[in-house]
Formats: sequence, C-alpha cells, structure tokens
Amino acid sequence: MKEKRLIRLPVLAMGARYRWDKVRNQHQLVFPEGMIVLNETSTAIVRLCDGRSADDLIATLKDTYPGSEPADDVHEFLRDLADRGVLRDKAVD
Amino acid sequence: MTKPLTRPLALLAEVTYRCPLQCPYCSNPIELAQYRRELDTATWVRVFGEAADLGVVQLHLSGGEPLVRRDILELVRGASRAGLYTNMSTGATVADDAKLERLREAGLDHLQVSLLDSRPDSNDWLAGAASFDRKRDAVLGAKRLGFPVTLNVVLHRHNLDRIEEVIALAQDWQVDRLELAHTQYTGWAFRNRAALMPTRQQLDHAHAVVERVRAAGTDGLNIQHVLPDYYFEQFPKACLQGWGTVFMGVAPDGFVLPCQTAREIPGLEFPNVADHSLEEIWFNAPVFKRFRGTEWMPEPCRSCDRREIDFGGCRCQAFLMTGDPAATDPVCHLSPDHHLVDEALQEAQQSDPPLHFRVMSR
Repeated sequence: MKEKRLIRLPVLAMGARYRWDKVRNQHQLVFPEGMIVLNETSTAIVRLCDGRSADDLIATLKDTYPGSEPADDVHEFLRDLADRGVLRDKAVD
Repeated sequence: MTKPLTRPLALLAEVTYRCPLQCPYCSNPIELAQYRRELDTATWVRVFGEAADLGVVQLHLSGGEPLVRRDILELVRGASRAGLYTNMSTGATVADDAKLERLREAGLDHLQVSLLDSRPDSNDWLAGAASFDRKRDAVLGAKRLGFPVTLNVVLHRHNLDRIEEVIALAQDWQVDRLELAHTQYTGWAFRNRAALMPTRQQLDHAHAVVERVRAAGTDGLNIQHVLPDYYFEQFPKACLQGWGTVFMGVAPDGFVLPCQTAREIPGLEFPNVADHSLEEIWFNAPVFKRFRGTEWMPEPCRSCDRREIDFGGCRCQAFLMTGDPAATDPVCHLSPDHHLVDEALQEAQQSDPPLHFRVMSR
C-alpha cells in the first residue's frame, strides 16, 4: 500500500496536457500512451496545476464553487494522478 | 445491423517499412519487399486530419524507422495541427540534436526510443548494426530538449537476465517511462519464437527484480512491465481492447489495418486510404467488422463470462498458432488448442536455434 502522502506543488508531468475532444465533447488529460476523461471538477483541478501550491488550488476551487469543501477530493485526485505518473510534486523533486 | 459504439482512440501510422536496424522481433511483415510503396506527404497529412475528425486522440508515428522519411517534419507538423497527440517510435540512430530540436518545434509530443539491451555489444548484435551509442546520445539529447521520453526494451531470452541493468540505465539516462515489453510472437518474432522465448526461471527472476525495484521506489521513473502471455496468463490479453474498437493502423502503402500485424492473416481484404476516408473504413469496411464485438466468436468464447473482457484474445496469434483466425486465442486455458502453447514452450526450452534477423530481401 502506498502511504497517503500530500502533494504540495502539483505540476503535470512532462508530456501530459489538457485537451478538449471536439468529437466526443469531452475534457481529457492526455499523456504518453494514455488518456483520462475528466469531469467538470477534475478539469478545474487539472487546469490549476500550473505551479501554484495545492493549498492555493483548493482555495481557488472554494472561490469558484462557494460552499464546497474540496480538500480531501483534491488530494485524492492528485495522488491518483501521481500514481499514474502524470503528475509530479515539485516540492519533492 | 450492429452499430459500433466506439470511435478509435489511437492511430498507428507506419510511415515506412524502411529501417537501418534488423531487430529479429520486428512487427513488420516478413514479406517486406512486397510493400515498398509509400504514401506521399499530402496523403498522410490528409489522413491525420481524417483521424482527428473521426475521434483519434493519439497518433503513433512508427515504421520501420519514421525518421528516414525526408518529410518527417512535415508529417509531424500536419499531425500536430490536426490536434493529435503525436508520439513517435524510433530506433533513434538517425536522430541528432538538430533533428530532435526541429521535431520538437514541429509539435512532436512524445518520443519513444527502442533499446535492445543494456550492453552496447549485445544491443548492436541484436539490432544488426552499431547503434547503442547513437541511441544513448539521442535519449540524452531529447531529455535536454525537454521531450518526454519512453525507453522501450523488448524482452526475450537473450537480454532478460540483464533487466536490472536495463532499469539502472533508464534511471541513469533520466527517461520518464520505461516499457519492459516481453516479445509478442507475431511477425518476425513468431518466426524466431523458439530462439526468443525465455525460460520460466528467467521470467521469475525478471519479475522479482521489477517488484523489488518498484517497492524500493523508482525515483520518478514510470515502469511498465507487460508479462508474456504464453507463460503467465490463464486468460488471453485483451488484444487492442477488441478488434475494431479503439485502434486502427495505416501501413506505408495506405492499406488500413485493424491490427498492425493483421496482414499475416490470409483472406482478409484491407481498404486503402486512396479509395475511402478513415471514417468510411472504420464504420463500414468488412475487415473492421470481421472480429468486432462478440458475434463472430466460437465456443468456448461465445458463452464465456469474459467474452467482453478479453474479446477472445489476439486474432493474429490465434491464426499463427492454429491456422484459424476465428479460433479462441490458444493462450486461454479453456481453448481446445491450449496444448500448442505448452508445446511451444517445450520446443523453446529444448532448442537454441539461430536468430533470423529482419531483412528486406526479395
């Protein structure tokens, strides 16, 4: 089991990028040999992985979606992306 | 009339079968000399546009060696402008820093470089050409330019014992991904099967090494280890996630294939991009419908709970081993032909035949 670490400075791994699929009307995260279909929330998270801290990212989401408490979901999603090799934690590189 | 529910996600564009290397497990056809004609630049670029309109996300520029095409930069530019995520699989022996930089500018997203072994002498022997130093220089150059780089090492009897060295090399060269891909026995690899098949002991050792390295932490290196189905699998692999489901390939001469090695199956008629759009071919060509879905399946697949998990396995493997492309993949323990897998393993353990290197002779 991987321990539940927190990712502090999430940046997309080299080669991973957001893409709008005009044929399927779908948000996607594409990367070498793979693709993840994103929903509205995960799209918002991915587009905020621009060098800001995870804390900043969560604060921005809270502003965008008032009344939400996204912290746990964000950290879980970021960990999932990191486990799949498409996200890095710049704080530990 | 069954309507296909999916559109393709990946297009493999084999832009040429020409290659300076002679890897004995090449997935290109054995009868290479029959397929010398190559599509021109404008046709490829049109095909990339059709692919994007059809829903293709990932383009794999491959070969042969795609970098021997003089118009490779135009092809990359065309693919990138069409909005495709553009990968290139290359032997990298003709990739100097200047060329890599131009590829980056043209919009290439990801570079996959083949390596045949961790040691230069063995790499060069397997490739049939001095190539290790050039591959290393290309990988290091690509990393300096900011490419995501995958190192792809096809594993078999002659290099499997050095898997730990291979991993160490990938870490040393700071590649992003390492694909440890056990040989799939189609194309040239099927011809060389008895010479390439590793022993059970070799496989157990390799598996243990990968598990140990993963447990210790790979320091950012993403390791993909695809186990060989002859040995390890009770069930066949879900080849291409099913025929005509997510994948299509275009051969150098413009013929459109549901699988890159499908030309090995006699009796199939392949459409050509000169005559039809990719969309027409995907939805209407008989060869794409031939093994799509589950209707074509024989028993034991037809009534099997796993028929939509592994789709009966690999059609090319079924044909090469049984002579019937519609048979259940013999790798499946439920296949009436499963004894062929055991016999192939036995044959490989008891013999050490020479390798037939890939050549384009007539």
